[in-house]
Amino acid sequence: MTGASRFRSVEDMQIQPSDLGLIARVAALGKRYGSGAGQVTALDDVSLGLRRGEFTAIMGPSGSGKSTLMHIMAGLDTPSSGQVWLGDTEITSLPDSALTVLRRRRVGFIFQSFNLVPTLDVRGNVLLPFELDGRKPSLDERMWIEELYEVLGLKSRLGHRPHELSGGQQQRVAIARALATRPDLVFADEPTGNLDSRTGREVLGLLAGASAGYGQSIAMVTHDPIAASHADRILYLADGRIVRDAGRSTPEEIASFMLSMETAA
Amino acid sequence: MRARLKDQVPTFLVALLAGTFGVLLLHVTGMLAVAIAADSVTGDSDTVALMLPIVAWVFIVIAIYVSAVVTTNTVATVVAGRTRLIALLRLIGSSARAERGRIAREGLAVGFAGAAAGIVLGTAAAFGLQRVAVATGVMPDVAYQYANVSVLLPAIAVVLTTWLASWVGSRRVLRVRPIEAIGQSVESDREELVRRRGRNIAAVVLIVLGTGLLAVGIVVGLVRPEGVLIGLLGGILSFSGIVLAAHIVMPPVLRLVGRLFGRTPAARIAAENAVRNPERSSRMTIGLVIGVTLVTTFSVTMESYRAMIHAAIEAQPEVFAGVEGMLNVTIAIFAVLIGFSALIAAIGLVNTLSLSVLQRTRELGLLRALGFEARQLRGMIVAEAAALTIAATMTGLVLGFVYGWAGAQALLGGAQGQPVFILPGIPWAMIGILIVAAGLLTAIASIAPARRAMRVSPVVALAAD
Repeated sequence: MTGASRFRSVEDMQIQPSDLGLIARVAALGKRYGSGAGQVTALDDVSLGLRRGEFTAIMGPSGSGKSTLMHIMAGLDTPSSGQVWLGDTEITSLPDSALTVLRRRRVGFIFQSFNLVPTLDVRGNVLLPFELDGRKPSLDERMWIEELYEVLGLKSRLGHRPHELSGGQQQRVAIARALATRPDLVFADEPTGNLDSRTGREVLGLLAGASAGYGQSIAMVTHDPIAASHADRILYLADGRIVRDAGRSTPEEIASFMLSMETAA
Repeated sequence: MRARLKDQVPTFLVALLAGTFGVLLLHVTGMLAVAIAADSVTGDSDTVALMLPIVAWVFIVIAIYVSAVVTTNTVATVVAGRTRLIALLRLIGSSARAERGRIAREGLAVGFAGAAAGIVLGTAAAFGLQRVAVATGVMPDVAYQYANVSVLLPAIAVVLTTWLASWVGSRRVLRVRPIEAIGQSVESDREELVRRRGRNIAAVVLIVLGTGLLAVGIVVGLVRPEGVLIGLLGGILSFSGIVLAAHIVMPPVLRLVGRLFGRTPAARIAAENAVRNPERSSRMTIGLVIGVTLVTTFSVTMESYRAMIHAAIEAQPEVFAGVEGMLNVTIAIFAVLIGFSALIAAIGLVNTLSLSVLQRTRELGLLRALGFEARQLRGMIVAEAAALTIAATMTGLVLGFVYGWAGAQALLGGAQGQPVFILPGIPWAMIGILIVAAGLLTAIASIAPARRAMRVSPVVALAAD
């Protein structure tokens, strides 16, 4: 986004992520905690690009660094080394206030639990990103939000508070909120972790539908093979490194690869 | 264990203050009694010696009552924050009664520590006060025995009320289900709003009965000064009713105040936060309402009285010479004594707000992740503190004005030989002090929580526990 029409210095004269059809990119990313002998490496020289419009799953066992990777890509955490782009914006050097605005406008979040502001009703939660931006949704955006309510089956629940909704309904509200601003990228962290398997499948279907139907780019962190089987692409992480980059797979294929990683470790 | 001790600091502080206040007040009245008995002119009067401790105990009871309300609320907030831990212990096999008993025992221990510290501090303060009074010649140097058994009474009262308040405040422990130890998607500290019909009926009966008696007191006061006693009873009854019905009275006031802050996201969420747990916010504010009401009632009554005295001074300057100065000193002393309860209530509000923000870390992280700037979070916390303080101060002022006028009318309505309507005196100085104090309280109450809120990382909202 930035600099596209502006004059670029020689240093900046490089290929932008968007030129490659990427919505997000990380290069030589490292994240280390502590120092000296007690140092822990969460991410070790990770480079990857997420393609625009794709539903990407980031898989890996506990402690593989997948959550850290997502936090850094979403601008919630800072890397020890390397660079991160969201769209064409290099975000590692951005100050906190710029990152906040970026999250507000260009990123959507769906968490495992505690997704919604408990004091706001469904409509208030979905419109919160707009309010934070100090603006009202445009006519086009209002129609889009109405469509989301319709598709997600929230029409009759708009005045409800989160505690009056089931887990699956809460997660639908979170999806509506994440998609409402049509962000560059939606991050989902174990979105089905707290749901029963049927509700979980519905939620995954909705995410896959948002990607296929509306071209929404989604990055989902999970360790559930069934959840990952809904994705277009699956990145496997182990010990802070990308160990495999696979296309759409069946749950069986995913599970057997995960098992082989566990036994190899 | 360290976190648990930290939870109890507010309760300790309240017990310490109430204990210190009680002990100090009894020491001072004891000294005055000795000084009066030693004086040749007043020494023969038994009335003063009898009245002093009674007046002192009225203020001590008010302070202890307010501190009990504050402690009940603090304990309820602490329990809400410990829900996960309690649920875990229940899961492992501890009984609800045992868990509640543990919290009540903590309250007993903390109350004991606070009262013991209060005896030391109160006695030291009384000693210091006496030295100053003697040095400046305000009081003769009389032999006063500090080893006075009666000062143990307020300390014991503080221990017992802290214990009782912890027991009452820990009621929610019984509703914690073991399953709450296992992850869930709804925040766990939502206090269920239970309809207490019995309590509501009692409140209505008290308010109706009290208001009726207040009216009777005013009418009787037009012809006989005893009307004020009927009015006093009516005031106590109706105000108790309002305190009982705080969960009905306070939320609308909080909503109204919340609307004053505008429609920005931070202000809106702050307004909602202030009423998210109607029970909790009512308890949080009612202590302050009691304090402000008492101060206002007293000031309005005294101001009306002063207006009448002024008229009398103009009519017969020689008879009433010197009355003005005495009146001012009396008003100041009583205002400080009542103001102490308001101080305890204010400390309770600060602590409860701190605790409740601490328990909302994940929600703050969520707001940060969604695009709230740290600055906006700070604004939100300040607005929340302001909503609570302003709502309590406003309610207290209105109630105090009504009661103050009723008191003045009942007391003075027939004092001039014929029934007159008493214009309520407006104590501007007191209103000014209250507004400044409310502003200060908002600032103090929000400093620590706001700083903590600004440090919250959005990552905590993503973390599955």
